[in-house]
Amino acid sequence: MRQPGAYSKLLSGGVSGKTGPHSLPLARIKKIMKKSSEDVKMISGEAPIVFSKACELFVEELTKRAWLITLQGKRRTMQKDDVASAVITTDIFDFLVNLVVEDRNNSTAAVAANKLG
Amino acid sequence: MEDNINSEGASSSSSTTTDNMLLPIANVGRIMKQILPSNAKISKEAKETMQECVSEFIGFVTSEASEKCRNERRKTVNGEDICSALQTLGFDDYGGALKRYLSRYREIEGDRVVINQNKPSGNNNNNNNILQEDFLLYTSTNKTPNNDNLFD
Repeated sequence: MRQPGAYSKLLSGGVSGKTGPHSLPLARIKKIMKKSSEDVKMISGEAPIVFSKACELFVEELTKRAWLITLQGKRRTMQKDDVASAVITTDIFDFLVNLVVEDRNNSTAAVAANKLG
Repeated sequence: MEDNINSEGASSSSSTTTDNMLLPIANVGRIMKQILPSNAKISKEAKETMQECVSEFIGFVTSEASEKCRNERRKTVNGEDICSALQTLGFDDYGGALKRYLSRYREIEGDRVVINQNKPSGNNNNNNNILQEDFLLYTSTNKTPNNDNLFD
């Protein structure tokens, strides 16, 4: 088995191992799901559980990428713009671009987004 | 009033449409913190941005999953629909690992019913740990993000 890297918490059990089976509130996940589209009528019990894990993976991936940008700036505190830049530079996070760039005139993220078109 | 979670122009601070539909900042912050080195710090704004991104992620994947259900004339969005949607939307690693997580969860839930019927003292904690260990195995082949995209 591949050894985990410095930032990987796989061996230590990740978040779920420490805080209980699910680290995110299932009822809240379900509410967010329902709100996303009028089509969503019934949700099986296991769907929020799958999402709890998926969201964890999502947060971990976006956080790792943002952290790389924080390090590039020789900083130790992750800023909102680091997250925004990680979104802009990652294809699968395209759906988030409009969310992170609220002001196209200011901020490094907006400038970067404008450059990418 | 349009209350769509995917609407453009959602402000980052004191947002209106998504304000009460965020996952708790403590939970989100904890996940972020645990993946970073111990000397890392995370600004509150970064955590808030992450909260919003997660809600958007849930909405995005759910819409895809729900459309599939509609096309197949099914009413209930289940775990597999989420897994398939993840794979369709480019989150291949998540989708594959979660499918196995889900089938293991279903196995354990089935076992738990049997165990609880036979032994009232129950093995609930063990079951959850088994599930977590299995998930770790299944995700051990996950690649850490490569730097290519960042240095284009």
